[in-house]
Amino acid sequence: MAKQLRELNFEFKAETPKDFPAGFLHYGVVGSGDMEVIIEKKAMSGAVKFKVVTPVTGFDEVWRRVLERFVNETGISNASLEINDCNATPVVVSLRLRQALAEIG
Amino acid sequence: MDNLIGQGRAAIGMIVDPDSFKEGVVGDLNITDPEFGPGAVIGTAMLKGETCTVIANDAMTVNPKFPVVYAGIIGMEEGYKMALAVYNSIKADKDRPLGKKRPILLIVDTPGNGPGKQEEIFGMNKATGAYQLALAEARKEGHPIVAMVVGRAISGAFLCHGLQADHILSLSAEFSTQIHVMPITSISRITKLDIEWLQELAKSNPVFAAGPNFFFKLGGVEEIIDSIEAMRDRIVAHVAQVRVLKLAGKNDELGPWGRGTLGVERGGRKTRAKVIEVMNEEFAAVADRYLK
Amino acid sequence: MSNKWDTLQSQSFLECNARQRAVGLVDAGTFTEFIGPKDRMSSPHLPLMGEAIEFDDGIVTGVGLIGKRPVFVASQEGRFIGGAVGEVHGAKLVNIVRIARESYDKMLAANPKLPEGKRPAVVISFDTGGVRLHEANAGLLAHAELMDQFQDCKGKVPVISVIGSRVGCFGGMGFVAAATDVIIMSPLGRLGLTGPEVIEQEMGKDEFDASDRGMVYRTTGGKHKYIMGDCNVLVADSIEAFRKALGEVLAKPYADLAAMRRIGSLEKVQYQLKLVDLCVKIAPKDSKDVWKYAGNKNPDALVDMPLDLFLKTAERLKIA
Repeated sequence: MAKQLRELNFEFKAETPKDFPAGFLHYGVVGSGDMEVIIEKKAMSGAVKFKVVTPVTGFDEVWRRVLERFVNETGISNASLEINDCNATPVVVSLRLRQALAEIG
Repeated sequence: MDNLIGQGRAAIGMIVDPDSFKEGVVGDLNITDPEFGPGAVIGTAMLKGETCTVIANDAMTVNPKFPVVYAGIIGMEEGYKMALAVYNSIKADKDRPLGKKRPILLIVDTPGNGPGKQEEIFGMNKATGAYQLALAEARKEGHPIVAMVVGRAISGAFLCHGLQADHILSLSAEFSTQIHVMPITSISRITKLDIEWLQELAKSNPVFAAGPNFFFKLGGVEEIIDSIEAMRDRIVAHVAQVRVLKLAGKNDELGPWGRGTLGVERGGRKTRAKVIEVMNEEFAAVADRYLK
Repeated sequence: MSNKWDTLQSQSFLECNARQRAVGLVDAGTFTEFIGPKDRMSSPHLPLMGEAIEFDDGIVTGVGLIGKRPVFVASQEGRFIGGAVGEVHGAKLVNIVRIARESYDKMLAANPKLPEGKRPAVVISFDTGGVRLHEANAGLLAHAELMDQFQDCKGKVPVISVIGSRVGCFGGMGFVAAATDVIIMSPLGRLGLTGPEVIEQEMGKDEFDASDRGMVYRTTGGKHKYIMGDCNVLVADSIEAFRKALGEVLAKPYADLAAMRRIGSLEKVQYQLKLVDLCVKIAPKDSKDVWKYAGNKNPDALVDMPLDLFLKTAERLKIA
């Protein structure tokens, strides 16, 4: 069987938006069960868009929920996020995204 | 003869001038101990009347001191023996002009480097590295180095004995020549991808597949030769071509770097060139800050 | 863990990722990355096989300063597919070495009397098992290119290996490291050609039991390589310890560094052949047999000995 990397795309708007305060940020290592993310400032009328590249199938809805909650809880807005995933669990995804944001502070 | 696998010694005779091969002798070097690195055959022969160094694998022998060395495997002693042949070629031609340095002919039929505990304790990595550095030095000193794959050219052993040559020639796949890191069956097992699908993928992307044709497309082999009889003349022709480029100072068109360019021309290895181009640009933008 | 230079210095080298090592090994605030994540130059081949990609393809390349020396750095990420070398990864590694040598040529052409302390150097932080299977042919060809570039560096640009990461330095990268001028390791660093699992698979458990961690470290680990002379400098497992050792090494004249090589000349090969004869004579079943021959009366005591004491106690192998 052909096995291909998959690309998932999402867009969310935080309930109480806060502008992403940096221009460009990279965080993480694509180890097994881990991921990396690039966060870039982007004028998106307050929205945040995600591009997730992952070998995993069947968890699109889980990704949606994890990323949406991240956006609402942090209030991140006007940003583009690109994730390279290697089978990270939802817990790891949430943790890495929050660690990435903490790097700015 | 269907193929030359295991026939490194016979292949020497098919390529060099009749009865001209003197085993064990290269310049000042004279190895007489038959038990010293027997998996490697080194010596001097004439190639169309010109003195040349020959380095080949002998798959029909075992190294009595190192049980992991058999069937053409390059062990520690073999690696250093091959390096001795190269350094003594350089030494012998030290005072000869660029166009007169003796060619070095590598006849390649090797399945691997010695995989043993003693080898790791004493450092097999040094032996294979030593031979490669010797070849790179000889190439840059002006010796034309041509590798002729007559059988197996597998992974690290091909790096050791073959991939430092100026030009690499291979008998075509009909002669059961093997050039690869790992056969597609093993890649299939490890990546859990169907063999049929991998074979299909290989048609458009030679980057992982096994065989001389894929290496040709990647620029990893200069020419594929489809008859045993043609080897001698093609080797002589490549020695001449290599010499012309060396005399013109075009060393970047030869050896591993030259094969990078060839990979772009043949369409099999394009990303490498892009990476190099972008890195050079990014460095140029900050070079003044670092180079003072 | 943060990438800030000050914070990194006290960190375990083993635990640091490739970028942290690259940033922390040169002077504070001097590292500039090339083909970083921003360029998004990931492997074009892995997606076809359903394998995860990384923006930097598992290697950080760039330039920094150590004192006044421009130091060109490559740092491999073992956590990404075992730090394996594919087409992009390989091209980054090869070209950073080439840029260092081209810089040397330009600088020396402009000023033949340029002091050694201002001349380019290369540092490679290995964390790799060698060729990446998914793009094996391109990875293989990159190894040959590296050896070619090293030969061009000879007599000009010192190339230093640092090995102390989780994967170690194996496969083709094992001989690439052996071909550099100076090797700095921590006791946790491992260096070899054929990994223990491969030896066990090919030669059987009697030859090498890969589950015997003690044996694995004694055969390929930093302490053993130091006794053998295959590692020149043995340091503690911290970024600072590696950085300081690197600074001390690069403060030496080039001729001294070239003398620290194991291979790369007829004389060095002749010396190595004496070691091969010694191997036949001792026929070691365990590295400890060689440690004993080197003059260590109680080799067992060296295994878990703290580094400071080990460096004072251990006798290194010397043969006439």
